[in-house]
Amino acid sequence: MGKMAMDRSQSAYVDTSLQDELARGNRALASIAPVIAHFLNDNGPSLITDAIVAQLRGMLNHIAQQLLPKSETASKGYSENLAEIMARLTNDVPLIEHLYAVALEGQITESLEQRAAVDPVLSPLMQELIASTRPETAELAMTALSSQARFCQSQRRMELPLGELPYEIFSSVLHHLEEFKPGVDPLNAAAKLQEGFDEGASRLGLMARLCANLQGGAIAALDLGHAGFALFSSAAASLTQQDRAAVVFACHEGQAARLALTLRTAGLNADAIDAQLGVLGSRTALSPGIASIAALPQESAFDTLRTMGRTLGNDS
Amino acid sequence: MNRQQSIIAAHGLTDESDRLIQADEPLAELQEACGGCIPGPLAVPELLELVRQSRQLGLRIAREFRAFDGRDQVSGFVRIHPIASGDEEHVEAGGGCEILVENWLAFPAEGGGSHVDSDWQDAADRAVAEISARLDAHQTLQFITSYSSDAHQLVKAVEEAPGRVWNDYIELEGISHQQPLHWRLLDGAKAKIPGSERNWRVRLFPIATPSSAPRGFELLLIANEPLGDEPTAHEAPLVEDGTPEHSRLIGSALTPVLRQPLARIVANAETIHARLAGPLRDEYSEYAANIAAAGQHLAGMLDDLADLEVVEAPGFQTARERVDLADVARRSAGILGVRAQGRDITVTLEELSQPLFAKAEFRRVLQILINLIGNAIAYSPEGSQVTVRISEELPGQACVTVSDQGPGVTEEQSLKIFDKFERLGRDSDSGNDSGSGLGLFISRKLALAMGGNLEVLAQEVDDELVGAQFRLSLPDFSAN
Repeated sequence: MGKMAMDRSQSAYVDTSLQDELARGNRALASIAPVIAHFLNDNGPSLITDAIVAQLRGMLNHIAQQLLPKSETASKGYSENLAEIMARLTNDVPLIEHLYAVALEGQITESLEQRAAVDPVLSPLMQELIASTRPETAELAMTALSSQARFCQSQRRMELPLGELPYEIFSSVLHHLEEFKPGVDPLNAAAKLQEGFDEGASRLGLMARLCANLQGGAIAALDLGHAGFALFSSAAASLTQQDRAAVVFACHEGQAARLALTLRTAGLNADAIDAQLGVLGSRTALSPGIASIAALPQESAFDTLRTMGRTLGNDS
Repeated sequence: MNRQQSIIAAHGLTDESDRLIQADEPLAELQEACGGCIPGPLAVPELLELVRQSRQLGLRIAREFRAFDGRDQVSGFVRIHPIASGDEEHVEAGGGCEILVENWLAFPAEGGGSHVDSDWQDAADRAVAEISARLDAHQTLQFITSYSSDAHQLVKAVEEAPGRVWNDYIELEGISHQQPLHWRLLDGAKAKIPGSERNWRVRLFPIATPSSAPRGFELLLIANEPLGDEPTAHEAPLVEDGTPEHSRLIGSALTPVLRQPLARIVANAETIHARLAGPLRDEYSEYAANIAAAGQHLAGMLDDLADLEVVEAPGFQTARERVDLADVARRSAGILGVRAQGRDITVTLEELSQPLFAKAEFRRVLQILINLIGNAIAYSPEGSQVTVRISEELPGQACVTVSDQGPGVTEEQSLKIFDKFERLGRDSDSGNDSGSGLGLFISRKLALAMGGNLEVLAQEVDDELVGAQFRLSLPDFSAN
């Protein structure tokens, strides 16, 4: 009897770890086909490139490093802990989606600079805001400018400070830390990180505040050459009530229709939309469909965008 | 009202159960427009969600927010900072949050806009309908349910003579009695229900697959006023009492039409003024600022004129509630806090040891005091003091006196000050005064309608005490 009972409990233990293993295998297997399809599909520019993957890996690693105390770097369990946190972070879908948008923004910013000479940091609109006669605006613009400069630098270093995450994602990252409990006092570490967090002082927060500050003039930021990519996407997100990540995604070369719809919703006319697509280099993909989007009334463009966002499930 | 244009537009505090315990003017107005009060549960759903998140996660959150205050689409950028329980600066808000709203912007909601808005409206109507019914494809009433005591007669009428077209039982206003009209023409109509004193609104939703003709209809009747428990609910019998309908041209016709173009003029002029679309010579930027100021003036004027119409309508009545004067004074001072701070003016409240209650209508008293304190702030020199004093100096009356340290009012001026459109050529703070010359006139009318009075006190002879003094007196609640 005793032996039977022991066997069963052992098999229960084996079961859970085995199940985990198998579940992981299933997930990997399920994602093979779409990933391979992505790489094989050579119609138009790819959404996933080696550069993006490397960028994501770098940022994930940097986030994991920030979660572990600096003093532990030399200790012997450190690299295992780091790997374990990385593994947890990699399975956090909203985090990965956000980091993808960040990496894509970095890439688009860089290619805009090289191809269309759009200043990544100090755009003409930014200059005007810094020269604003309202001291509060000028100060806000100055702060946004330096955080944008830091962003460009950290993208080159494939890093992302924790404070740059939106609060939902930041708190889920902290949650991973609390669950995992690597060594000493994770709650204390989490509390410390939490203390220093201020979404309004992050780059995305500052850009959004700056756009709110433009009030009725936010539409002036819908000119890539005038505003730069960072303000452009924040303003478009605010004017069309979309997630900023969705706007960044729409600016990917292969997403001209989505961008045209977004810009139409924000109130640009056909010529202006065409000009923006041209700056982004998506015009090669110009189809008759886009001309018809540009001709949509603003309200129906808004409705289409809303229903589209809903089916994609990316509406946060 | 002159909207503040600085970056921080409003500041508020919530406690550990997400009740708004303190708020500046625009936020307080929004809270009230959303049906809340201060202190009371935060009534703006968009903000409540963020505050809850911030409090639970203990994180400083910053987000754009949009809300609808019943008339305008309000947007801004809100920063929410959780307050630790032991915080000394905000003891009363320990465990709650601090709300900072930047760049407050109110823009008229676009009427008949997108599907999203109309879906929202439909859902709201379904939730508040007090009578609902099913109609068949020919608009014949099939069954009816109601939640209200004043709908009994209607339900009875349907039971006694079933199977008729629905508008046989209900009196539709402004629609001549022709047999089944197309449902779209009847959707949104105003109606009277037999046995009910209230005004009702009709909603009709077709029941059909998108491509086919309706198989039937869902009929909702939504009351425009709540069912009062006491007769004071007859606050607005303006149209019913047999007197020829007082002209409501401005409030009902002009204001809704003019509001949107005016807001657009102001927004565009501000865009030009801020040189957002490119460099511009200083002179032109200044012109644009003038255009924006004039537009704001017009918008404020329009609000005042609509108020004026209500006040001047025959049969205008106010409710008689128990109003704590010190409480109203404190709220008005709090609401105008940002404006006062902007001019470095302190507003002090001198209250009695006992609360003093007046018999009046709360929101009207608030409106009067905001007008008086607002004027005092506008006409006082920077760095001065505005005093609000509660007293019982008149027998049977509860009084509030507002005094400032401004240039004061001469005897000659005090004769004219309550006249319509009278501005006495006074110059207020920085030339961006948007007074219509109606504020005091309306305030006085309101005071009189509540059985009280609003007067300028004669200036003291010795020159030490300069400044204007206004006294609002209202019937004491305990007097009878």
